Amino acid sequence: MMESGTVGSTGSGSVPVSGMELYYEIQRFYAREAWLLDRKQYDEWLDLLTEDVVYRMPVRISREPEDGQEVIEEMGYFEENRESLELRIRRLKTSSAWTEIPAQRTRRFISNLFLESGPTGGEVEVSSAFLLLRSRAEDEQVEQIFGERKDVLRLTESGWKLSRRTIIPDQTVLTVKNLSMFL
Amino acid sequence: MEKGMFPQWVLTDPDIYELELERVFSRTWQLLGHISELPNPGDFVTRWMVDDAILLVRNRQGELKAFLNSCTHRGARLCMSASGNRKAFTCPYHGFTFNLDGQLIGVVSGDQIYGESMVRSEWDLRPLPRLEVYNGLIFGSLDPEAPPLEEYLGHAKWYLDIFLTRSDGGMEVVGAPHRWVAPANWKMVAENFVDPYHAQYAHRSTIEVGITPRDPSRTGTGYNVVCGNGHGIVLIVKEGVPKYQNLPASMWPMFERNLSREQLEVFSKTALILGTIFPNFSFNCPLHRRDGQMYNYLTLRVWRPLGPEKIEVISWCLVDKDAPKEHKEKAYKAYIGAFGASGTLEQDDVEIWSRVVEVSRGRMVRDKQLSYNNLLNYLMGFDNIEPDRSFPGPGIAYPRTYTDHLARGFHEQWLKLMREDRRASGQAERLAAGNGGEDR
Repeated sequence: MMESGTVGSTGSGSVPVSGMELYYEIQRFYAREAWLLDRKQYDEWLDLLTEDVVYRMPVRISREPEDGQEVIEEMGYFEENRESLELRIRRLKTSSAWTEIPAQRTRRFISNLFLESGPTGGEVEVSSAFLLLRSRAEDEQVEQIFGERKDVLRLTESGWKLSRRTIIPDQTVLTVKNLSMFL
Repeated sequence: MEKGMFPQWVLTDPDIYELELERVFSRTWQLLGHISELPNPGDFVTRWMVDDAILLVRNRQGELKAFLNSCTHRGARLCMSASGNRKAFTCPYHGFTFNLDGQLIGVVSGDQIYGESMVRSEWDLRPLPRLEVYNGLIFGSLDPEAPPLEEYLGHAKWYLDIFLTRSDGGMEVVGAPHRWVAPANWKMVAENFVDPYHAQYAHRSTIEVGITPRDPSRTGTGYNVVCGNGHGIVLIVKEGVPKYQNLPASMWPMFERNLSREQLEVFSKTALILGTIFPNFSFNCPLHRRDGQMYNYLTLRVWRPLGPEKIEVISWCLVDKDAPKEHKEKAYKAYIGAFGASGTLEQDDVEIWSRVVEVSRGRMVRDKQLSYNNLLNYLMGFDNIEPDRSFPGPGIAYPRTYTDHLARGFHEQWLKLMREDRRASGQAERLAAGNGGEDR
């Protein structure tokens, strides 16, 4: 497969035999996903998600260790399924989704990929770090959000697809004015 | 304001902001949280009242207490957690320890080094001057002379009760609030929640795709209720909206037992109840779509000022404690689809608030001589609508939601407080004298 200016498809439909080959395919998946989201090619991004995708971003709060977990599973910024993601995307495509008119420029940096487990049953668990920078209109200040993602990727006939994502922000008070983007 | 206009530069002027901290935020009641966040003895949450760090705890007797979250010894922040359960709080600096009543109960090497020179009871945590609860809502005030909370809320109570008391178990907070920072002025944002006029255009995208009910607010049908003290309530009312906000029919007998006939009459026809309690507490009890159906939830929000052009939004989601589990889950998901940092309505609200502040700094919005028009327009419904005197609820109810009566009421209260100089009236001196003996 050739890399080119357009973002190509990933995966061959069969489980790679070597660890290096698997890691390479996963890395390509994330690079392609980041390009699609930065270019706001949302339909192509939806093609990377399984029909039963679970897309979550729990709230994080500040905690000293004796007071319990920082991640609050009961409350999230995102608690999405495919239908609700499609609804969000339909809204972004209207002519009155003001937060994206003019479109905010984003750049996602996905790194520190780590294959937590798999492939088992055609799935791998992958952790990654993310940093998203965002520039709005003519603002001189840049917004940023960063943290960790825990994904389950599933190998399908049309390549790897995201079947589960949990986004854990590193901030307890977000410094982006909204979450009109996907992480 | 008597003429329906308000100077644009006042929104974000730094000197005005400093005066607001003294004359508005030091004298009013502000929301701290909800009782369901700390149900058990030892439970605590930490919150902010503008720049005052507040430690809110439930003591062993089950009473709520609020203190400055700062050690009385050398001032370090006492508790870093947003919430938890403890028996005592120990400062990391020198190890001073305080119990749930704020009493100093432990001093490292105390007897050997302080001897008789320190009376421990003089070094208890500093209590928030006022703390009161109204049907689950916890409010605090920095003003020892603030009127009782119920008197302050006044006519607004009747409307808050519709969702606070409709269920036997009241409302309960889901998880923890969303918190994020936005470029906005707190006044413009508080006013946004008594301005249904913006929904039709600002939130058009959510109406187009069916997240927000298609019609209810389009023609401004419903009531704007002026409640006094700067508080305003909006009721989006329309024939044909789902009864009791589409809540499960199994809950209806409970509503009918808990609410008055007049409240039920309003509740049964209302799609959205929203409003602002002066100065910076807003709420919305709406209907939004999730997975093909409309669900009702309650969001409470505090607009915490972080400067003239910056706020922190603290946004809670609450559901009826007695609601079926499946309903609670869908209602929570409907909330994050519409409100909070990721909400499809709030995404656009925040964008527009930022557009107001970014163009309110210049000379042309300030200088009357240049005066292209340095006044903002609050003229809607100024002279063409009369109150509905047959409306069953208290306050002054205007039978249309496309009016600026509520925004005008908000800004009139703001102006009233900003004009009151307590130091000039001698009140501050009397207070200072009264507290003199306790000064440390």
